[in-house]
Amino acid sequence: MRILTARLTGFRNLADGDYEFSPGVNLLIGSNGQGKTNLLEALNFAAFGRSHRGARSEELIRFTDQHLHVSLAVDQASGVRQDHEFGLDREGGRRFRIDGQLVTRRADLVGRLATVFFRPESVELVRDGPEARRRFADQSLASLDSGYLAALMAYQRALRQKGRLLADVRRGARREADAARELAAWNADLAVHAVPIGRRRGEWSSLLAPYADAIYQDLAGSPAPLEFQWRPRLQAFAPARLASATDEELAADILAEFDYIRPMELRRGRPLAGLQFDDFLVRLGERDLRVFGSQGETRTAAISLVLAQSDVVFRQRRVRPVLFLDDIFSELDRERARRLQERSARNHQVFIATARADDVAGWEPDPARRWLVEDGRLTALP
Amino acid sequence: MHPGAPGGGRQASGGEFQSPALERLVRSLQQLPGLGRKSATRIALHLLANHEDAAQLTTAVDDARRQVTRCGRCGAITESDPCAICTNPGRDASLLCVVASPVDILPFEKAAFFRGRYFVLGRLLSPLDGVRAEDLPFDRLRARIDEDEVREVILALDTSVEGETTALYVQRLLAGRAIHLSRLATGIPVGGALAYTDEATLQRAFQHRTGVEGG
Ligand SMILES: Nc1ncnc2c1ncn2[C@@H]1O[C@H](COP(=O)(O)OP(=O)(O)OP(=O)(O)O)[C@@H](O)[C@H]1O
Ligand SMILES: [Mg+2]
Ligand SMILES: [Zn+2]
Repeated sequence: MRILTARLTGFRNLADGDYEFSPGVNLLIGSNGQGKTNLLEALNFAAFGRSHRGARSEELIRFTDQHLHVSLAVDQASGVRQDHEFGLDREGGRRFRIDGQLVTRRADLVGRLATVFFRPESVELVRDGPEARRRFADQSLASLDSGYLAALMAYQRALRQKGRLLADVRRGARREADAARELAAWNADLAVHAVPIGRRRGEWSSLLAPYADAIYQDLAGSPAPLEFQWRPRLQAFAPARLASATDEELAADILAEFDYIRPMELRRGRPLAGLQFDDFLVRLGERDLRVFGSQGETRTAAISLVLAQSDVVFRQRRVRPVLFLDDIFSELDRERARRLQERSARNHQVFIATARADDVAGWEPDPARRWLVEDGRLTALP
Repeated sequence: MHPGAPGGGRQASGGEFQSPALERLVRSLQQLPGLGRKSATRIALHLLANHEDAAQLTTAVDDARRQVTRCGRCGAITESDPCAICTNPGRDASLLCVVASPVDILPFEKAAFFRGRYFVLGRLLSPLDGVRAEDLPFDRLRARIDEDEVREVILALDTSVEGETTALYVQRLLAGRAIHLSRLATGIPVGGALAYTDEATLQRAFQHRTGVEGG
């Protein structure tokens, strides 16, 4: 998948106008605060209908403007052209079109423009707390499967409802006896939504793991394999049970776990069991990188995990996503950085943003284009 | 302030009318669901320019407020209590369709395949909005089921998590009774509201309603 051209109006500090990209490597070089990340954000927005860094639509509109508009000409793997378009205004209006057709549900955007985004914060994926890894998993799964996003949103909503109910009981606003049947109903709803989420987290992590290991070996070379494993908190998702039980049986198991922990939840006034406590183990051989990884190791592992998403997308859909690599080379040694460059340029269109020209000096991929990004403007470099 | 700082632009297109009366009209229209300042202004100016439309609207609002009431048995919006559906002997009292809002009755009646009666909950369970089980008419629902000797209850609630959970709650509430309990099968888009579902989808969902165990 390749973004051939973009027409931008009113997007952050980026100059209005037409942009033409290389189907291969696009290097964006510029000092801090010039608009490199803004450009990646504009190009990636259509993939999910949201900003990769969680910015609200309002923030994307140039300070001096009332609305923004972006249209992209995308070359699908097969050489088929697809036009993606979106417009946002300050009143909260949002419009997405694909090939001129209005797309009203965000779920219908999923998979139309496949991208993988490496954000500067992604390097901490392995060393950060479990929440970062859950977010990585959720975003990755949501980009592969609109059903996942729907189940996750429902689960999270039900979890907030249950949390409020428990808090209400705890502070004495509700009698425990009155709330008991309601609590059972929220638990039943949570259990139903937890099943598909759990199944997919399990499948996804075992699909991703070998690709991440292959990339790690390519970048760093290591005698021990890189492992990536889903570590669910719910007993119902123990591998043996997960493999043999039906969805209904799993939901019943989960409900039993919720029942078991209910007295404690009522005492503490918050949910204490569920998918929101999952983690993913990242290991190099016997060593848990989350705790015992060096800077270079955890960063290389994080990069490997993020890039492995491309292989999962390719395996499921036979298209290579567009790669956005924002400040990915920081603190990688020269050799790893070079291998990463070669690897990402292979089979992909890639956009690489960096504040240090050194990072990409002497690299002459083909086809490629380089730009200097200054105050929202792109100037072609030789 | 930077001339183009966020919010700056919104002021430019906003601003107030010199007439406080017009300003009040716009503001009260703006209170209505789904109306922003722009549409409220358009409607206000239209009403000022078209006296007949304005008079008609005032009368219609007055009449509706005086005549419209809720059916004490099912909760439908009606001008006679009990409503025409509840008193129609041709409708099967042993078949009860539970919906969240009186509006949800309309698509069923329009599609005209359902021969039973309705029960409106009025709200869905939602601790975040302060809606508790005690705030829903579950006692009346049970009484209704007993009085009418209801054999089958169809839960036709939205597929939002609040709708799902309220359905699960009713399932538990009615557990152990000799009634057939069913929920509308999928076909209604996830997160979809019943009242905006087309007839064909609704009928399909209805035919494929799935039995659920109480418990
Ligand atoms: N809505 C907006 N309208 C106009 N300018 C904006 C808007 N939002 C952000 N900016 C400007 O964009 C600039 C930041 O751009 P961006 O985040 O792309 O920088 P960058 O080139 O990626 O820098 P770094 O190397 O530090 O990551 C800031 O100067 C900011 O003032
Ligand atoms: Mg940046
Ligand atoms: Zn009635």
